[in-house]
Amino acid sequence: MTQPSPSFFKAVLAIARKDLAAEFRSRELLSAMLVFSMLVILIFNFALELNVDIRRTVTAGVLWTTFAFAGTLGLNRSMAVEKDRGCMDGLLLAPVDRSVIFFGKAISNLVFMLVVEAIVIPLYAMLYNETRIFQLEFIGVLLLGSIGYIAVGTLLSAMSVQTRTRDVLLPILLFPVAVPVLLASVKASGAIVAGLPFKDYVTPLNLLIVYDVIFIAVSYMIFDFVVEE
Amino acid sequence: MQQKPILLTILDVLSIIGLGAATYFALVFAPTEAVMGNVQRVFYFHVGTAWVGLIGFVLAALAGIVYLITKDAKWDRFEVAAVEVSAMFFFITIVLGSIWARPAWNTWWTWDPRLTTAAVTELVYIAYFMLRAGIEDPEKRARFGAVYALLGGLSAPITFMVIRLFRTIHPVVVGNGNPEAQGGFDMTGSMLTAMFVALGAFTVFFINLMWHRIRLGALEEKVEQIKLKVSM
Amino acid sequence: METINTDNYMIAGFIVSFVTIGIYLLSMYVRARNLKRDLETYEALDSPDKK
Repeated sequence: MTQPSPSFFKAVLAIARKDLAAEFRSRELLSAMLVFSMLVILIFNFALELNVDIRRTVTAGVLWTTFAFAGTLGLNRSMAVEKDRGCMDGLLLAPVDRSVIFFGKAISNLVFMLVVEAIVIPLYAMLYNETRIFQLEFIGVLLLGSIGYIAVGTLLSAMSVQTRTRDVLLPILLFPVAVPVLLASVKASGAIVAGLPFKDYVTPLNLLIVYDVIFIAVSYMIFDFVVEE
Repeated sequence: MQQKPILLTILDVLSIIGLGAATYFALVFAPTEAVMGNVQRVFYFHVGTAWVGLIGFVLAALAGIVYLITKDAKWDRFEVAAVEVSAMFFFITIVLGSIWARPAWNTWWTWDPRLTTAAVTELVYIAYFMLRAGIEDPEKRARFGAVYALLGGLSAPITFMVIRLFRTIHPVVVGNGNPEAQGGFDMTGSMLTAMFVALGAFTVFFINLMWHRIRLGALEEKVEQIKLKVSM
Repeated sequence: METINTDNYMIAGFIVSFVTIGIYLLSMYVRARNLKRDLETYEALDSPDKK
């Protein structure tokens, strides 16, 4: 593997910028993710009867479930577009390290997910008068969780688009492997919303960081094997 | 198909004897547990199958790494065998645990770290086979399988640690006890003997099944190759 | 302390264990048999072409 150089980062950013530019022109992916998120929250509202007492304990869970589902939608679409338009072949022919593609796609996927979160969270806060989610710690956990989720998700979506059952396969592949991210995030952000002190959620936070580091490193190392022709 | 090696036949016989012995030790040799009664006797098989299930899971992840480095199809066959055999054993572990939990905890299931991790692992296995089933090219199938086995192997220990944050009632029979555990018991000498017999028997049986499954994999590959040749 | 009668659970446990193992062994046997049959068919198809 080559040593990361300035051109490495430039190439990563170029790929991410290409995706973002395409998306901000068509907005089809983001709008799908957003509408979907709102629908999930609407369903949760009636399924769980989100009154004040219940909300105190389930806010973190509802938000994370919503983001996980919306995330698979985005991951699937963003990789399928590359594959269908033949962009992937073009990218693979480019004289750059394969991991550049991984980081480029991961960054654009992460941006999509963060944009959705940035819209859904204020909406949730407004709908339920839940201002406790506007805490720096909460945002931090959200960021760490999204990074881990997107790192594995980008790798797995690159695999699932190459299979026969591609659209249905991604969540089935992703959820069992992403269980630690989702549970640790729910645990940590739930504690933050409940107003517990730092020492009560430092363990899930550490596990979240461990997961992020391990899975970014591993995805970086094995992405080559996933896109190889 | 090449001739069945003599060692494999010996292993077959050993497995039957071992399983027979483990059953005897669990049902007859071990004393009846004072509180739980006879259901405690499934514990020996529970531990035995959990042990080989875990070994198979670790072996699958390692085989995945070796395959990605060497690209040698025999490691792919090894990996598939490990996943499949270990999935079967984990299934037994979960069902036996559930059968034991019903009288002990008064519930078939609880979201305890071990139970949940075992269930998530079983889902990883199912996803693994669904992934492989969706790919036609054998080389790509092996490559993706290896990647997924590796990811599953890495995430399982973290899953376990995360779920441990939520409280548990699973007893720790060997090693330090959990003060909140329910349904634990002190093992007497003959219970330990029965447990080690079960562990030994299931280890032999596991190796035996792995070997058979690897041979089956080799046969599958041979058929696939000749099919390709004929259709051309 | 009173010992609970849990014999039925024990019997169920051992039945499940052996049935699961039995089904797995059977599935391996069936798969091997089908593959061997396929192999013979393809070999028969293959040999005349070669000559």
